[in-house]
Amino acid sequence: MAKRPLTGSDEDRQCRILIVDDLNSSRVLIESILRSAGFTQLVTAADGVEAIEAIREETPDMLVLDIVMPRMDGFEVCRHVREALGLDIPILVQTGVQEGDFKVRAFDSGASDLVSKPINAGELVSRVKLHLERRRMIGRLQTYQRRMEEDLGVAQAMQHSLLMSDAEVATIVGPRGCDMQTRYQASNTLGGDLWQIFPVDETRFGLFMVDLSGHGVTAAINAFRVHMLAAEQIEERRDPSAWMERLNESLVRILPVEHFATGFYALIDPAQGCLDYVSAGAPPPLLVNAHGKVRWLDQHGTLLGCRSGVGFEATRETLRKGDRLFVYSDALYEDFETPQNTLSAEKLARGLVSALGVKSDFSSALMQSLFGTPDRRFRDDLTWLLVEMKAQDAQA
Amino acid sequence: MDYRTEATGDALVVHLSGVLTFDDHEKFRGVVTEIADSPAPTAVIDLSALQQIDSAGIGMLLLANDRAGKQDKQLRIRGVSGHVAKVVELSRLEQLIPID
Repeated sequence: MAKRPLTGSDEDRQCRILIVDDLNSSRVLIESILRSAGFTQLVTAADGVEAIEAIREETPDMLVLDIVMPRMDGFEVCRHVREALGLDIPILVQTGVQEGDFKVRAFDSGASDLVSKPINAGELVSRVKLHLERRRMIGRLQTYQRRMEEDLGVAQAMQHSLLMSDAEVATIVGPRGCDMQTRYQASNTLGGDLWQIFPVDETRFGLFMVDLSGHGVTAAINAFRVHMLAAEQIEERRDPSAWMERLNESLVRILPVEHFATGFYALIDPAQGCLDYVSAGAPPPLLVNAHGKVRWLDQHGTLLGCRSGVGFEATRETLRKGDRLFVYSDALYEDFETPQNTLSAEKLARGLVSALGVKSDFSSALMQSLFGTPDRRFRDDLTWLLVEMKAQDAQA
Repeated sequence: MDYRTEATGDALVVHLSGVLTFDDHEKFRGVVTEIADSPAPTAVIDLSALQQIDSAGIGMLLLANDRAGKQDKQLRIRGVSGHVAKVVELSRLEQLIPID
């Protein structure tokens, strides 16, 4: 912080404290105790009604409140401050030993703390300082949290902006005989999902998806790094093994030991009717043909960024018109809050095929068929990509 | 995630149970420390009571493996089944940490 924060006692001096008591002698006593402890902004009220008026006029930082008062008693003041005014300022209630269940009732009404009557100067000052300090700390935390949330929001937006728009996607896949839908749903934390597509030549394009381990800022920053690395891998776009091997070497260099990525890269050639892919521990994509028959691209592959010199061999699949390739992040099927709800491969395939049968709004149909609700929140970022080999014009 | 350790012969066996995810970073540090502090040349992480693991969980196993290696100890994994086995197979974890 650039400016040295005020010390507690500096700030205490500027705190506005409202003293509410129907006895003038009590008000004078409390006021003089607080004044000699260094507090300067002291206001008084002679009963509950006056107190509420004073609070409405200018919200104090704290209340020192008597219970038994004419017109409106202390319990009611507490409730009014908490409920009608919605304030969370500390309320210190004075109670005497003879006042039976007052202590419990005071807390029930919204008091923050009690101070016993007759007033002991040391106790009163300590409690007032304690509550002001606590309030200051909460205030600081709230400010900090707000700032963090704003920062995370900005980071999330930046991450989102790495992803290609539908129009950009269409200019690449359209002329190469495909339609493509994509979905990225951010969780409330930052995640490490990233996908990209690249034109390779007139008939082929590359499809890349990566998921950086973990969550939060680390995963997001690593996603940015991968985005930069991917931009440099131009020659490798036509060679899935080379693509993954080079990316692995780069990630081995930059990722700390407990971090890694899972990745999938496919070179898609609708004109020749084939797809060459490599997987590095990614959830196995599915190929669904025009009749709803499913093939799994379930190649196993070493995690990225763990060991240098690892080889990735490409696997070839045939592609026919009407085939649909579905690539997704693990958030789609994993459920860590209720592990028994984790989707099996069979359920995922069934859900996908049934959603593909619904002509409109695939995204909602997929959520509906997998989870029984069109919009579901995920603990991690969810990404999926759906590439469809168009029935006509597939030949370039 | 919960864990308990057991010294058997020349190996330290760490039994993990529950679900190993991002939220277990702090706790897993205890596992790494136990392995580091143990005089045994081999550490075995037993996953038979582990129901589920996420990518951060795999990362923690890699971290434990790295720390053990730096002390010239060997880390092994055993008892993978169910969801954990799927994640382990998919990621070819056996190429990085020996799995029994």
